Amino acid sequence: MSLLLAVFRKELLDSIRDKRSLLSLLLFPLIGPVLMSVALTQAVEQQAPVESLKLPVAGAQNAPGLIAFIQSRDIEVVPPPGDIHGAIRDQDVDLVLVIPDDYGQRFRTARTAIVEIVCDQSRPDTQSSVRRVRGVVEAHAQAVGALRILARGIDPSVAQPVTVTEVDLSTPKKRAAIFLNLIPMFVLLAAFMGGMHTATDSTAGERERGSLEPLLISPISRRRLVLGKWLAAVVFSGASATLTLACTLLALGQVPVERFGMSLSLAPGEIAVVLVAVLPLSLFVCAAQMLVASFARSFKEAQTYMSLMVLLPMVPGLVFTLQPIKTAGWMMLVPLLGQQALLMNVIRGEPVTWAAYWVTALSACLAALICIDVTAALFRRERIIFGR
Amino acid sequence: MIQVTELNKRFGDVVAVDDVSFSARDGAITGLLGPNGAGKTTSLRMIYGLFRPDRGQATIDGIDIARRPRAARRLLGALPDARGLYPRLTARENVRYFGQLHGLAKAPLERRIDELVELLDMAEIADRRAAGFSQGERMKVAIARSIVHGPKNVVLDEPTTGLDVMSIRALRRFIRRLRAQGRCVVLSSHVMQEVSALCDEIVVLAHGKVVGRGTPDQLRALTGLQSLEEVFVKLTLGDRYVDEHGPLPESNRGAAATAGDGSP
Repeated sequence: MSLLLAVFRKELLDSIRDKRSLLSLLLFPLIGPVLMSVALTQAVEQQAPVESLKLPVAGAQNAPGLIAFIQSRDIEVVPPPGDIHGAIRDQDVDLVLVIPDDYGQRFRTARTAIVEIVCDQSRPDTQSSVRRVRGVVEAHAQAVGALRILARGIDPSVAQPVTVTEVDLSTPKKRAAIFLNLIPMFVLLAAFMGGMHTATDSTAGERERGSLEPLLISPISRRRLVLGKWLAAVVFSGASATLTLACTLLALGQVPVERFGMSLSLAPGEIAVVLVAVLPLSLFVCAAQMLVASFARSFKEAQTYMSLMVLLPMVPGLVFTLQPIKTAGWMMLVPLLGQQALLMNVIRGEPVTWAAYWVTALSACLAALICIDVTAALFRRERIIFGR
Repeated sequence: MIQVTELNKRFGDVVAVDDVSFSARDGAITGLLGPNGAGKTTSLRMIYGLFRPDRGQATIDGIDIARRPRAARRLLGALPDARGLYPRLTARENVRYFGQLHGLAKAPLERRIDELVELLDMAEIADRRAAGFSQGERMKVAIARSIVHGPKNVVLDEPTTGLDVMSIRALRRFIRRLRAQGRCVVLSSHVMQEVSALCDEIVVLAHGKVVGRGTPDQLRALTGLQSLEEVFVKLTLGDRYVDEHGPLPESNRGAAATAGDGSP
């Protein structure tokens, strides 16, 4: 046991002094939350109704009725810029409503009057304003149309055979899930990245430096040696995952999402549950990384394998995010897939049984132990010790 | 005492070590001499148990390294071919790690490290990180960590490679000291001078076979040559040996042998 601790302490000290190990530990805790809040802020701004819209109108005097209607819908009518097209092109204004001079005459004679919304369709950030103005104008047109039909003694609903009403059953929590899905993905990636460098450095790196041969001549069992190295990598991986979760939640607190009908808050219990679900995965991920790195001929080759392995958690993560498939029981038995299914259930606020936690944790531990034993066996092989 | 009996090792079709037997006494320095590729490093790797012999066995104080590797390794200190240090650890931390792996308790280990720092003249580098060490400094740390547990048997694979004259002299003094303490020392070298300057017993290896063995005097008698370098070349080449220098007067040869480089 003291030998195992000696290996663990040495690897920990060695990694803490290594800039690259620290970088892989801190990469996701720093980058993840930033990405998250940028994506979220963007999405929120596009979806949200614009608070008070300033609408430049040209020819406002031609349609006092329409202008009054627009103003009653929380839109402030302002004078148009001198050069309308130029102002749109230079993005000085988002859109301009143009009411032609013959509007009044056409309106009075019950012919279709034409108004223009001048805008730039290639600017996605103005789309919500355009949609809003268009909706207001059309609402006004519909109201006037209904009155005209009524004046001719006909029920207005005759002219409106079908009406569509959207019934939104999503809860604020479910709407938020789209974004919350990103959290487990970041945490999983952090578990992969965090211990990656320590796992590589203590196996492929050890051999490349020429310190593996003396190390293996010392009277420590291969298994204990691998266990000690693995524990050090697990500390880094677990710390990275925990930090990422903490930083992401902190960053989320800064985004005012509640106003837009989304609830992004996770209860402290749920945060704990995310960690309970992910930390066993660190055990497995580090063991698998050490196994793969031991096979590599060089440190460079090991690093290539590691970056390919990072893609692994992205696959189910993306599938879950883009296509919310139902999580099935068998998934819990597969390390990595099990953790992701578990996290998905937690994030969506669906009930998770304690059995599910146990099963995913145990399957990850078992897989980790297998990887450790195989790695220990590799370190008895001449080809592995001397790098072929 | 290290005993090697009929060791055999092949890699694919290449026979690297072919029926190598020798024994290294306590309180003596035994040299494995041979050109590059003669099977010295392969033999040593079988002695410290990283290569499994196809046939034969190596024992450390009577313990078969292949059967009971950990028990045998406790009695053995080895400086292998690869002698990398941990660049982010100080010299002291590098040595301490190996002492811990040998199960040394804290207080005796620190005392032992201080002793080695003194003995190998490492005071200046002891608390510096190993990243910027020179060859000689690295070698000192590598030797210190290989014998930190005070082993009865010491195996050194080409210990003088890459060292300057001053470091080599210091190293020789150190190795003689190990002998004086009654330890069994085995070292390998392809440099004749090295072996003749240090060793009590020489085992000459060529093409994986033992081609000569004995004290330097016995080897001279065996081949009928005075210069140890000629002895080495003759044993290595076997039947293909021709004396490049033609017959020389006996006195001249003696002079060459004392000069230690063997060429006129």
